[in-house]
Amino acid sequence: MQDGKGGGSLSLPLLELFPAGLRGRLEKLPQTLLLSLEEIRVREGRPLEIGFGGGSAFVCPQGKAVTDSADAYRPTREDCRALLERVTNHSLYAVEEELRRGYVTVAGGHRIGLAGRTVLEGGHVRHLRDVASFNIRIARARTGCAASLLPELLDPVARTVKHTLIVSAPQQGKTTLLRDLARAISAGQWYHPQAQRWGGRKVGVVDERSEIAACDRGVPAFDLGPRTDVLDACPKAEGLMMLVRSMSPEVVVADEIGRPEDAYALKEALHAGVRVVATAHALDLRDVFARPVLAELASEGMFGAYVLLSRSGGVVRHRVVGADEAEAEARKSSGCRSVPVIRSPNADGVRHA
Amino acid sequence: MLKLAGAALVLFAGTMIGFMQAAKFAQRPRQIRQLIHALQRLDTEIGYGQTPLPEALARIAAALTAPVSTLFAEASAKLASGNGETVSVCWEQAFKAGWQATSMRPPERDTMLRLGETLGGSGAEDQLKHLKLAMHQLQAEEQAARDDQQKYEKLCRSLGVLTAALVVILMM
Repeated sequence: MQDGKGGGSLSLPLLELFPAGLRGRLEKLPQTLLLSLEEIRVREGRPLEIGFGGGSAFVCPQGKAVTDSADAYRPTREDCRALLERVTNHSLYAVEEELRRGYVTVAGGHRIGLAGRTVLEGGHVRHLRDVASFNIRIARARTGCAASLLPELLDPVARTVKHTLIVSAPQQGKTTLLRDLARAISAGQWYHPQAQRWGGRKVGVVDERSEIAACDRGVPAFDLGPRTDVLDACPKAEGLMMLVRSMSPEVVVADEIGRPEDAYALKEALHAGVRVVATAHALDLRDVFARPVLAELASEGMFGAYVLLSRSGGVVRHRVVGADEAEAEARKSSGCRSVPVIRSPNADGVRHA
Repeated sequence: MLKLAGAALVLFAGTMIGFMQAAKFAQRPRQIRQLIHALQRLDTEIGYGQTPLPEALARIAAALTAPVSTLFAEASAKLASGNGETVSVCWEQAFKAGWQATSMRPPERDTMLRLGETLGGSGAEDQLKHLKLAMHQLQAEEQAARDDQQKYEKLCRSLGVLTAALVVILMM
């Protein structure tokens, strides 16, 4: 699967989010760099970093990309305060729930991860204060990125997709892939000669983090195909059930499952005759079978196919593994699990576990 | 004849000055009341609606009359313009620019500016507390303004006429 250059429009509307001190410097970055921008990391008093096309660099006060962190611009307290104000639309009180979870999503589906000091109540995180780290992840639609993958996920008997779990480490393109899968399934673009007359399927998307569809007042900003209904900002477990009951989807799509209630809802959906396409954070199949919730689902044979993503540079590779094969692979290697050695995904795109 | 016309003009001007001063005393409590209503509305928008601040301020402005509505409309417009300025800066600019047109005095202005420093910057519970505090302070100011009105409104009116009359007599 070629990730390529075609990121579409420049993320200039996104740059408007930044206060003047940061925006001025980011805008001076070379155009090509801005187009391949994936992450902007703002940390108070520490170097301003950007991530792009599989690499990373620091931004110096003159707005140039440099490799030495000593030359980098260091965002001030005022920069960070203003940035927090702007990403919350000047209304911290309206995003308390999101702050508790550690991220907010802004217009355009860009997710902004936050870190700071937590305020606890009864042992649970009640609030996030003194936010000093921002991770701005830029969302881009890559129409057609599911083209080489989808044919391997088809279920010719039922004329639809198999129950699929997409697995990868963070920042490998899960959500982007999921978005395009939803679009292709909904539009009936199966990318397979035999499936040309299947037509599209009704797709229901539970978009808990508003990342898949990037809804603006309920209307998706990204193209999710003509037969897609989106439940925006809804908890997955509840949302899956709501969709199944109310919108009669043939395929439901959910991002980042992993909580016990998610598993319950997924099982309900699976047994209701609805196909499920979901993603989960895990390095490899062993991890899938090691995470309690995923293991429970996997051991019951819920998923018909697993997609493993890995990425080097701008190229995302995928591997599709069938259910039986996956279980065998996980069992085979579970005995000799060593301490994982994790290298930066940007170094060579390979992670060892 | 000319003298008579001049005397009439002086008398008219003095009366008008007196009336305008009196009107200021009468308007002040009314405008403070409007501010209190605005904050009550903001309280609801934040506490129940969780409406984003630019939108909440625009709605408040729509429900008020000028010149008080201008303060909120201006603050909302500055926030929405996307210049990257913080709430406290936008708020301060809007209130300092629009304040001249109102009949209100520095104490209530300071209360509003202090509120602007905290607005939007914390959780709902905290915001409501700040709003309550500001409303209490404004209520105290409103009471003081009413007392002033009773004391000085009529006084100003008569003082204007009488001063003008005195000037006329001295000129004769």
